[in-house]
Amino acid sequence: MSAVIEIEGLRKTFHSVRHGRRVAVDGFDLLVEAGQVHGFLGPNGSGKTTTLRALLGLVRPDSGRMSVLGAPSPAQLPQVAGRVGAIVESPQFFGNFTGHRTLRLLARAGGVPVGRVDEVLEQVGLLERGGDRVKGYSLGMKQLLAVASALLKDPELLILDEPANGLDPAGIREMRDLMRSLAAAGVTVLVSSHILGEIQLICDHVTIISQGRRVAAGRVDEVLAGFDQHEFLVRVAEPERAAELLREAGLPVAAHPEHLVVGQVTDASVLSRVLGEQGLWVTELTPLRPDLESVFLELTGEGSHLALPRQVDGSALPDAPPPVDGLIDLDAEAGAGRGGNA
Amino acid sequence: MNLVRAELERLGARRFVQLMMVLLVLAFGVTAATTLAGSHRPTASELSEARSQAAQARQQLELTYQRCVDQVNGTLAPGVEREYFPENCSELDPGRMERLPVASDFLTGVFSFDQQARPLLYFLIAFLVLFGFLVGASYIGADLNSGGVVNLLLWRPRRLTVLGAKLGTLLGAVLVLSLLASAAYLATFWVIGQTAGLPGRLDGEFWRGLGAIHGRGMVLVLLASTLGFALATLGRHTSAALGAAAAYAVVWELGARLVLEIVDAARPDQLMLSSHIGAWLSGEARFWDARACINSGTGFCDGSYTLTWAPALAVLLGLTAVLAVAAFTTFRRRDLI
Repeated sequence: MSAVIEIEGLRKTFHSVRHGRRVAVDGFDLLVEAGQVHGFLGPNGSGKTTTLRALLGLVRPDSGRMSVLGAPSPAQLPQVAGRVGAIVESPQFFGNFTGHRTLRLLARAGGVPVGRVDEVLEQVGLLERGGDRVKGYSLGMKQLLAVASALLKDPELLILDEPANGLDPAGIREMRDLMRSLAAAGVTVLVSSHILGEIQLICDHVTIISQGRRVAAGRVDEVLAGFDQHEFLVRVAEPERAAELLREAGLPVAAHPEHLVVGQVTDASVLSRVLGEQGLWVTELTPLRPDLESVFLELTGEGSHLALPRQVDGSALPDAPPPVDGLIDLDAEAGAGRGGNA
Repeated sequence: MNLVRAELERLGARRFVQLMMVLLVLAFGVTAATTLAGSHRPTASELSEARSQAAQARQQLELTYQRCVDQVNGTLAPGVEREYFPENCSELDPGRMERLPVASDFLTGVFSFDQQARPLLYFLIAFLVLFGFLVGASYIGADLNSGGVVNLLLWRPRRLTVLGAKLGTLLGAVLVLSLLASAAYLATFWVIGQTAGLPGRLDGEFWRGLGAIHGRGMVLVLLASTLGFALATLGRHTSAALGAAAAYAVVWELGARLVLEIVDAARPDQLMLSSHIGAWLSGEARFWDARACINSGTGFCDGSYTLTWAPALAVLLGLTAVLAVAAFTTFRRRDLI
């Protein structure tokens, strides 16, 4: 597969008189290949939006190499801009304009046939409200309008920064369906989001950023598999005795009031056999697979101090960038170029 | 071209622009209505009386000039008291005066187009300068602040093209609006002069003079629009332009002028933008140099000096160009966050 987005060693530092020097992105790498629905995850302030802004020529990086659809960015970005649809954070529109007029103006400015306006309004489910003024739109409707504006160009690559912001559950589901249909139509999608469950549902690949550095990248299932500790939840009549038996069988057991969590289980039948032989009958045996949220929290260190007030990107990372081998990069092709496999 | 058309539609749809248009029409309407209400067509006897008074005034000017010449030449008739006159009587020569008293000067309650056209035009230019500055500042300031520019750059990732299209659209729109507004404005008062007052002496010289002021006024409107645009671009916000203008007025035009006068600096007026604006608009402006006559003794001393339109234009153009180049350079390199 060909690379649609390539970022290598991106670094961006912001300087301000009041706040001094702040490293927003610190040697970040990203690879998105054609046809992927690629999730881009990271805590608030981790550098997601700065990365996307740099990629789209809105922020000047200190160093690093970027390309979009094969064109170096930002130098040759204008040559491929017509094939890239993007929204960065929540774009603001004239409240006084109707949704239709807003898109018509953008279409005109970008040299897109105005006939596309109705098509994309229908695509995002805003056709009936296209004649209403934007100031009457809900936050979710404005977000849909932003997505519609990104779709106007009939893009090969769609970059969406927090597209689910402000959407209600039905809207989130519609957004998910929309992205799936776009991916099915061959559009490559890079989507950043805080809603990890959504990312897990719609994305086939994921890159996780923390404190401006990539901490994981690859296929979603493979990233998750890297964190699978082969744990099972076990419910049994005598949990204390069961825990003792399992420990004797060499399995680590964590006892909870209602159940046990047993680790390093490669074959679930071992559990039922060990307990059954001693007359303890298992009432529930559930494999505990890691989800993206737990992986995200573990990688970004955000889960380790949940009792404390949460800070913006309070990830715990070493001072120096982690060695490349330390990355959880299961995307073989992506890692091949940069030695990112672990 | 598409970008300019889209920008033109955005500019026209701005509430602030619409509000300023309403204010323009309102100011225009109020001025025209009060002028119309306060003017009447002079009767034959009023005209006759005014003509007589004008003739007397012109005669008086001739007499004064003659007395000056006689006094300088030492040919004053015996018994005629000596008066204070300048050393050079040409200043009193009616033939060299810009204008002589005319009948309309002595008509009360009568709007005379040839007399009032210039002040009316100055008022319109002042409004349009304010309009251009504020609209220029808010047009880019609001877009930078709200993310509208970012949205546009995602479509057209050519910063200088986008900013240039915005400035070009602004200047084009402001110029067209100014031309239309001034044409409608002058035409309305011309009609009032024709129907409810006096048209006055509307010869070629009058129209050439009025046209020159109008042309210079339009240049000033464009410069003000560019300044507002550039300042707001540099400061990323409409209020940056407003703050810069207010700070300049208070700190330099008022504060620095006061300090310069206290320290007895030479020709402080020529350091003020307002002086150059006045010189550009009216062709030239005369100012008093307090230091020029310090050692002139008790004799006559003309301590005035003149700022002409050419250096005034150079100052105004230079300032605008520097700020515009700075705005474009900054915008090209700036992080849009």
